[in-house]
Amino acid sequence: MGEETRDRDDGDGGSDDRPSLADQRGVASVYQPAEDSDLLARTARERVEAGDTVLDVGTGSGYVAATLADAGARAVGVDVSPLACQEAADNGVSVVRGDLVEPFRADAFDLVAFNPPYLPTPPEQEWDDWMEHALSGGDDGRRLVDPFLETVERVLAPGGEALMLVSSLTDPDAVRAYASEHGLASEQLASEKHPYEVLVVLRFYQD
Amino acid sequence: MKEDLMEIICCPLDKHDLDLEVTERDDGEILSGQLTCTECSETFPIEDGIPNLLPPDMRDEAPA
Repeated sequence: MGEETRDRDDGDGGSDDRPSLADQRGVASVYQPAEDSDLLARTARERVEAGDTVLDVGTGSGYVAATLADAGARAVGVDVSPLACQEAADNGVSVVRGDLVEPFRADAFDLVAFNPPYLPTPPEQEWDDWMEHALSGGDDGRRLVDPFLETVERVLAPGGEALMLVSSLTDPDAVRAYASEHGLASEQLASEKHPYEVLVVLRFYQD
Repeated sequence: MKEDLMEIICCPLDKHDLDLEVTERDDGEILSGQLTCTECSETFPIEDGIPNLLPPDMRDEAPA
């Protein structure tokens, strides 16, 4: 995730002594594209062909979906946050408010991209605002990673694949082991070193 | 939302088809209306052009 300073407008830094994740990252209430979104978007774009139907889970500002739409895909974004949905729609992305892949038909997508909230965060440090939701991966950083891996296969078309951005902070090997338990093979497609983490893009597919 | 989105969305609860009822349309965009599951009859609103397909128990939930 981005380390650069960003404009903040969340307006509720929390009343605790500890800074919130959003404060630490200096971000607004909708996660704005940073190195992680960019790596995922670039990697996914290389794999998408014109006419493919693709889903961007946790679309946020809609960056990955918009990149894939530029490549000629029929791209749809989904996000649980109403603020993110509005921003993605304002950016011209076809968007659905929903929980991961739940509102989509079986076999609907050639490619599903997911840049999950992945910062490991002790429960006492989480606050109830949409930016926390966009950043925090819970205790082990896998709060939404695991449910995604449990459910994504249903919406993949035959030969389809899921690409997920995973940080070294979230233990990519453990993520791949969990996917394997749920019948998904995986490989690493890309990796990029950053000051505090290594970002990797993992590809999940039916063996 | 565009009407062709209907080809890829379904009821988030039981994965059955949805019926579309349009209240307001502008050009090709559906601005408001309602989606109703053909199986369980649960309804989902379309507001400001965005279908809200969260399960009812998550709709008003605070984040995180």
